[in-house]
Parts: sequence; C-alpha cells; structure tokens
Amino acid sequence: MQRQVALIKQSLFDQGYLDEQFMELEELQDDANPNFVEEVSTLYFKDSARLINNIDQALERGSFDFNRLDSYMHQFKGSSTSIGANKVKAECTKFREYCRAGNAEGCLRTFQQLKKEHSTLRKKLEHYFQLARQAGPKETARRPK
Amino acid sequence: MTVEQNFEALDQFPIGMRVLAVDDDQTCLRILESLLRHCQYNVTTTNQAQKALELLRENKNKFDLVISDVDMPDMDGFKLLELVGLEMDLPVIMLSAHSDPKYVMKGVTHGACDYLLKPVRIEELKNIWQHVVRKNRGSNNGEKRDGSGNEGVGNSDQNSGRANRKRKDQYNEDEDEERDDNDDSSAAKKQRVVWTVELHKKFVAAVNQLGYEKAMPKKILDLMNVEKLTRENVASHLQKFRLYLKRISGVTNQQAIMANSDLHFLQMSSSLNGLDSFHHRPIPVGPGQFHGGAPPMRPFPSNGILGRLNTPSGIGVRNLSSPPAGMFLQNQTDLGKFHHVSSSLPLNHSDGGNILQGLPMPLEFDQLQANNNNNNNNNNNIRNMNNNKSIAGSSMAFPSFSTHQNSLIRAPNNNLVVLDGHPQASPPGFPGHQNNKRLEHWSNAVSSSTLPPPQTSNSIHHQFDVSPLPHSRPDPLEWNNVSSSYSIPFCDSASTMSPQALDTPNPGAFSRNTDFNSNANANAQPGGFYDSLQMRQSGNYGPTTDAMLSTNPKEGFVVGQQKLQSGGFMSADAGSLDDIVNSTMKQEQSQGELSGGDLGYGGFSSLRTCI
Repeated sequence: MQRQVALIKQSLFDQGYLDEQFMELEELQDDANPNFVEEVSTLYFKDSARLINNIDQALERGSFDFNRLDSYMHQFKGSSTSIGANKVKAECTKFREYCRAGNAEGCLRTFQQLKKEHSTLRKKLEHYFQLARQAGPKETARRPK
Repeated sequence: MTVEQNFEALDQFPIGMRVLAVDDDQTCLRILESLLRHCQYNVTTTNQAQKALELLRENKNKFDLVISDVDMPDMDGFKLLELVGLEMDLPVIMLSAHSDPKYVMKGVTHGACDYLLKPVRIEELKNIWQHVVRKNRGSNNGEKRDGSGNEGVGNSDQNSGRANRKRKDQYNEDEDEERDDNDDSSAAKKQRVVWTVELHKKFVAAVNQLGYEKAMPKKILDLMNVEKLTRENVASHLQKFRLYLKRISGVTNQQAIMANSDLHFLQMSSSLNGLDSFHHRPIPVGPGQFHGGAPPMRPFPSNGILGRLNTPSGIGVRNLSSPPAGMFLQNQTDLGKFHHVSSSLPLNHSDGGNILQGLPMPLEFDQLQANNNNNNNNNNNIRNMNNNKSIAGSSMAFPSFSTHQNSLIRAPNNNLVVLDGHPQASPPGFPGHQNNKRLEHWSNAVSSSTLPPPQTSNSIHHQFDVSPLPHSRPDPLEWNNVSSSYSIPFCDSASTMSPQALDTPNPGAFSRNTDFNSNANANAQPGGFYDSLQMRQSGNYGPTTDAMLSTNPKEGFVVGQQKLQSGGFMSADAGSLDDIVNSTMKQEQSQGELSGGDLGYGGFSSLRTCI
C-alpha cells in the first residue's frame, strides 16, 4: 500500500503535476502537523476555486479587463507556486502573458486549459491523500527520497 | 529591559523571535506560518493588513519582525511597510511572487529589510533574524540610553550594546540599518522625548542633509547625534513632519519647503534672538500682529505651531498684512518654536479676529500675575502684568478665548494692549507666510528648545480641560482630538506655572508633542502634531499676542515669556506660546512699525489667543 502511494506520488512528480515545492511542504509535515500537506492542499483548492470563479465571471462578462484578470491570475499563480502545482502554474503564466498582450482569445483558451489542469490535479491529489491516509499517516508523510 | 534580560533574550535568539506574518492568500499564509514555525520562531499571522497594524500598534514590543506580502486587497504592502517602519520602526520583509526588479526597488525605497520571492524556502527564512539583529545593533549603538547615545558601531559602553554586540560580532558587524530593534530599544525605558526647537532644528537639518525623500529614521538619528534619542522617536517625529509638510505644501516641493522652513526657522530664531535682547525673553509680540491676520491664517489650522500663532490673530490681527513670517524671521527668540507658530499660523483663527478680542484677560491676567510672580525672569512681567491688568480690564472682548483663559492670562495684558493700541500689530503678512511660517514654525518650534521649560507645564497641560481651541480649526490633525489636553495647556500653564523665563525652552511643550506622537500616530495624521499643538495654543495666544505686541513690548515679552515657560512647547506653555507668538509677532511688527520691537519674540507672539 505504501509503495503504491509512493508510486503515485512519484508519478505526479514525473508528470510534472507537482514540483519541488511540494516536497518542501512535505518537509514541513511532522508530528505537530501530521496532515500539513493535505491541509494546505485543501486550503489551496478552496481558495483557487473561488479565484477561478471570479475569473470565470470576469471572462463571461466579456469586458476583458486585463488588469483585473492579470491581478487575479497573479494571485492564483502565487498560491499555485506555493504548493508546487506545477502545471497549473505554467498555465497561469501563459494566461498572464496573453493578458499583457491583450489577447482575449488567448486568455480564454488558456483559462480553459488552466481549469482542466487544476481539476486534474485536484483529483489526483485527493486520490493520493486518500491512499496516504489509508496507508498510514506516518509513512506517507515521509518524502520518498 | 535590563542588560541581563537582553542578554538572555539574545542567548535564545533567534529562537523565539516574534514574527508577524501578513498575507491575504490563505494558502501562502499557512505555508509561511508553517515554515516560520519550523525555524522556531514565534509566529502570529493575519491575512489583513489593517489587522496587522492594529496588532502592532497595540503593543509595539510584541514583535521583532514583520513579513508581509506585497499585493493585498485592503492595503498595499508597501504602504504597510512604510507605516510599520515609521511607527514601530520594526524590520519588515516583503514577500511577493513578483520578481520584477521594480518591485524589489520599491521595497527597498520604502524601507524593507529584505525582499523575498514566493515560493519562500525555509532556508531563506532561517536567516531573516539577521535583520533584527542588525537593527538592534544600530539602535543600540545609536540610541542607547545609557547616555552614550552616540551611534557608532563601536559603542560598547552600553550594556545592552555589549550584549548585542557580542552576538552581532559573530554575525554581522554591519553598521546601522534603518530599523531599530524594538525588542531592545523598547525594552529600555523610554523617555518622553521633548522635541525642542533645537532638537527639531537638528532633525530638520538632518533630513535636509539626507534629502527629504531619503530621510530615514536611523540616518536622521545618526546625523542628529543626540543622546537619549531613539530611532522610534525620530521615526514618529519624521512621520509627523512628513504629514505636516504634506499638509501644508500639498505634497509638492516638500524639499523646498523644508529648506525654506529651515531657513526660515533659522532666520526667525535669529531675529528673535535679536529682539530678545530687549527682553530677556523674546516674547512673540505677535498679538497685535495677528490681529489682522486672523482670517487669513485660518488656512493653516493644521499647522499646529503656526496655528497657535494664528490664533493670536484672533487678537485682532487684522492687520496681519505684514507677513508674520517676517516677524519670525527676525525673532530668533529662543522661543524658536513659537516663532513659527505665531507668525505663520493664523490658524485657528477660526474664531477669527475675535480671538483676541475674546481674551478673557481679566481672568488671565490674574493668573498671569501669579505666574509672573513665579517667574524669575519676569520682573518685567510682573510689571507688565500689572499693566496688563489694567488693560485687561478694558474691554477685551475675546470671546473666543474664554476657554483659554488661563493661557490667555498672559496674553491678555499684552493683547489688550495690542489690540487697542496697535491694529497694526497684527502680523501683516501673516497669511502669506503661513505656509512657510508654519513649516518654519514648526521646525522652529520643534527645534528651538528655547521655549521656556515647562516648569509646571506638565501639570498644566492637564489642567486645561481638554476643550480644544475654540477655533476648531479645520485642522484635521488629530491633535484636536488628542491634544485637547494640549490646547489649553498653555493657558493653564500660564496660570499654574509661574511664568518663568521663557528663555528656557519648554521641554514640556515638546513632551507634549511626544505624547501626541503616540496619539497622533494612532490618528490619521500625526503629522500636524505640531500644528495642532500650536493651533491650540495659538488659539490661546491669540489675543495675547496682540496685546503683547502693541502695548508693551515688554509686556508682550513678559507675557510671552511666561507663557512660553509654562507651555513649553505646546500645551504646557500656553503662555509661552503666546509669548513666543507675541514676540515673534512683535518682531515682525517692530520691523514694520512697532517701535517696541524689542519684543523679540515676534515670532512667538503666537497669539495665544488664549488671551
């Protein structure tokens, strides 16, 4: 079971869903904070869902206030970076570039992609945490070296 | 904190260092918190900048370091940075996902100790304690209250300094940083700093030297080289000063103003001094001057210092045609501070010309008398007082000053005299100079520690009911609120305080300021504190100054002196302010027409409207 968990995690990294930052977070997990990573992830997804909503609405309005969008995205990128959501972060960067270029079409496209990545990541992480919990907290907390 | 305590803290340091983390992003905040905990710091988090400020203000000694995100919805991170630096003088580290050098530069110019990029790594956080140490060293060196007070890395006479140095030696022998280590300096007993005119002068000089934009508390402190002055004192003073400047100049040409004010200040002080010869105390013979100027002076209510002067305008300085500034210039009275105040501030004359008129002279006169008696310097005063009394009897209708009765007491004599006698007394150009005056006054007032020592000023301060100056100037300065206690002080001081030679600056006055500082800081615009103080006082002075101006240079002088003495700077020496105003006014006047120009304090005739 633990091996399975480890494998899953490894694949997440390999596929680029997660990066080193995630590992850093795992480092922070300890006895005092046994579920730190999961907590942070949950927090992240909650926050980012809200952000995505905002952006969605902004885009739907069709007004394309690039500044506003850019600032939303900046925030999104910040938190994605903090938890190591690699692919999501990449999409954020792309989106911002389109914003700066004033490319509405590009923004829309990228945003769709971003949402996809985001939800994929979420599912994967949820799955991962679930398994990890089943496998036993202590073990899973340790980063596979 | 005692040396031992400091040492202990240092021993543990950086473990347990108290950090306040601010970030609107919950995810990042959580991660940051965890990272910091892993570094064994003591972490407090908040996702709102406002809340962070509250926490910091609530107890300045509660935190060693602040880490803040740059983009926050409720307040710009840089703004928070600035405020923290000024008010609490704590090291602040900026955090951002922006790696753009422009942001980093902005962080630096706003005084950040460091700028970290997200995602933050624990390795980076492991070293942030160095900023606290650095600041601490600087503050220790620069501000140790043990008396060495001199900045300089090698300052080892202080115990804490020694202790700190011991640690610092190991890490960073660097010299002063901008920030102070609150932990250390705040632990030490903080004396109320009285921003005397001289002190302020130094301060302004330092700021000018550094360049207004670049002036940072630590550097200013170093330049000032004043013992027992802490960076925090300077920081809060600087903040006020900036706000003050902004207020009067509209945030333009601040540097020019500063330069001018400085110059003006100097001029004023010199002029006052000159006049001083006449009376040992350069009493701002302003009262008359303010007469005419009252209305125009209004505009500067905020300039506390000037304000005071202005209020004397109530004294019927209708003729404030001649720029009171002139008076101040000439009046180098030691009142220095008051100089500016009086001349430039027609402020509070919301009461308008009535200020002077309203001087309840009789009452005050009595008090003045009392004060005078006590006043060693004021033999003349007594004499004057007598004279004044008679004058006072005369219909001084200073309705506005009723509140300031006490302070006015001094003035009354003078004011009365002035009013009646010298319409011209009103500081002519008052209005015009207001701006400048204010600055100058302010700076003068601050720096010129010539204000008579508030002998009883402290007590006096409180005596007055807080009722703020009658002329509630539009001065937004919180001073009105805060200083309510101050507004009257002058008057009170006059009464309670024996009018002592105004010669000596009133530390009390300054101390008031400091008190204000704390209050002011809390308020929206501490900057105008001087103004506010002055304003109040000027109100008090209003009538007085006139009186002082006109009739007796001496009287005015005396009165002013007394006032000055009592009031010290603002509050306490309502009298002194008046004196100052009066003298300053007088000076100006004299230039114009007062023969008695000996009032010397022209500048200060700060029309303590309290007359």
